[in-house]
Amino acid sequence: MDNLLKSEWYKLRKDRSFWVLILFLLAFAVLYPLTLQSGEGVNGNDYYRGYILSINNEIVRLLPAILAGFFIASEYSMGTMKSIASSGNSRIRIYFAKLTVFSIGSIIILLILPIFMMGASAIYKGFNAMPEWTFYLQSIGLIAIYAAAFASIMALFSTLLTDSGKAIGFLLLFFSLIGGLLEYLSAKVAFLEPFITNSIFMSFETIITIDQIGHWNSDDVFTFVVVPLLTFLVFGFLGSFIFRKQEIK
Amino acid sequence: MNKYVLKSNRLSKKYHNNMALNKVNVSIKKGSIYGFIGQNGAGKSTLIRVVCGLAYPTTGTIELFGKNSEQELIEARKRIGTIIEGPALYPNMTAFENLEAHRLLKGIPGKECIEKNLTLVGLQNTGKKKAKNFSLGMKQRLGLAIALLGDPEFLILDEPINGLDPMGVVEIRELLKKLNQEYGITILISSHILSELHLLATHYGIIHEGELLEQLSATELNEKCQQYLHIKVDNPDKAATVIERRFTTQNFEVMPDGSIKLFAFVDVPGEISKVLTNEGLVIEQFMPMGEDLETYYTHLIGGVKRG
Repeated sequence: MDNLLKSEWYKLRKDRSFWVLILFLLAFAVLYPLTLQSGEGVNGNDYYRGYILSINNEIVRLLPAILAGFFIASEYSMGTMKSIASSGNSRIRIYFAKLTVFSIGSIIILLILPIFMMGASAIYKGFNAMPEWTFYLQSIGLIAIYAAAFASIMALFSTLLTDSGKAIGFLLLFFSLIGGLLEYLSAKVAFLEPFITNSIFMSFETIITIDQIGHWNSDDVFTFVVVPLLTFLVFGFLGSFIFRKQEIK
Repeated sequence: MNKYVLKSNRLSKKYHNNMALNKVNVSIKKGSIYGFIGQNGAGKSTLIRVVCGLAYPTTGTIELFGKNSEQELIEARKRIGTIIEGPALYPNMTAFENLEAHRLLKGIPGKECIEKNLTLVGLQNTGKKKAKNFSLGMKQRLGLAIALLGDPEFLILDEPINGLDPMGVVEIRELLKKLNQEYGITILISSHILSELHLLATHYGIIHEGELLEQLSATELNEKCQQYLHIKVDNPDKAATVIERRFTTQNFEVMPDGSIKLFAFVDVPGEISKVLTNEGLVIEQFMPMGEDLETYYTHLIGGVKRG
């Protein structure tokens, strides 16, 4: 497993789409706060929620889709998946190594705005723009958990579609529409409502507004921590099962 | 000690209604260069993909280095190097980086093997040039360098000389011979260029429409492809006696249809025909014949089609 992780990490570091996304987000993180007129006198938590987390929420389910297409699905079209699968490593290990590194890549992408945009804002607007540390760290942790959960779903579809273009197109469409579709479903089918409300697609929206961790109850822990972790594991095992049975062309 | 690197036992693979492999029994001896011959869609790549663990057999089993359980096969694949349906490269990486990604994948310690393999295939001076800007021949050589990482005992090469210029073909042939003779690496090589295979292979497997028609050694093939004079006369028994008496040779065969295959004196057909005519025999057919790998293969699969 160690060699698989090292190889995947090496490939991620050399992945052009990964660096393009990072540079794009870094540029945005540094430049965007300069254009904001408001923010003066606004509470740090509200500034962080309103100007940083809300933007990050829009991209969280979309930008990693591009990475999924290039980092996972393109291995099939380039033919490199054949050499990986015939390298003498079990398919399950290969899949989880890929998923682990892809999840790390997604987490890195999704933490750029909260870290660098917050840092730039603090420099531009003074440190009163900073949120409370507990809330800040809590949001960073939650973004990382959700990024991994979304990555697990993206990895599964990329494995199924085996083509970077198809995978990116499908994932962008899927993650753009899934929220609305689930809302509609929960309104129509009553028994699905609790499942849908607690799903990562819906709960992720609320990590902007949730209370600080000190005020969490057990339901919050379940919804915001257990469900994303379970999603990561369930889709991870499902994906590895599909990959194990898959014939690689 | 296992004599065979690869054995398949009644291996079949069915895709929908198409029998890609039909009860194939391949056996590849350790130390051999096995030329795998077949048309497009004959089943060569399917067999290679099953051996490499990219596809699963419908029925039958394979044995790699004497191992045949699922877990053992995964381990055994660490001892093979592959180029399957073209070299598998990361286009935005350099030759060095491509090898590094595969070195890490195979868990090979130290980077010395990268320079060694690049030098071996003549790509040591490609510097920062990305693989996507390589010629097809360079890509093939890089694929070979990757396949050779980890000093595999068994190389599986699917069309490795495609796209190579004549010098490149010679270089790769010499390299493969060297790997086989000096390092004892067993090689399974599939190619459409049969004349090239003929210069390299020590054994052959001929596959057609999913069925392995024949496996034979190069010596056996040469015997089958031997040059001879095809002679048909009005009295074959008398002709046989004449040949035996006048040319003091028994290196001929009288075929069931009465024709004679004379394997000696192939280079003096005029003399043979003169002697036979002088003995009062009427020559109905007289021609030099023989086969190379290509004609042997064509006859073999042609025969199957007629059957």
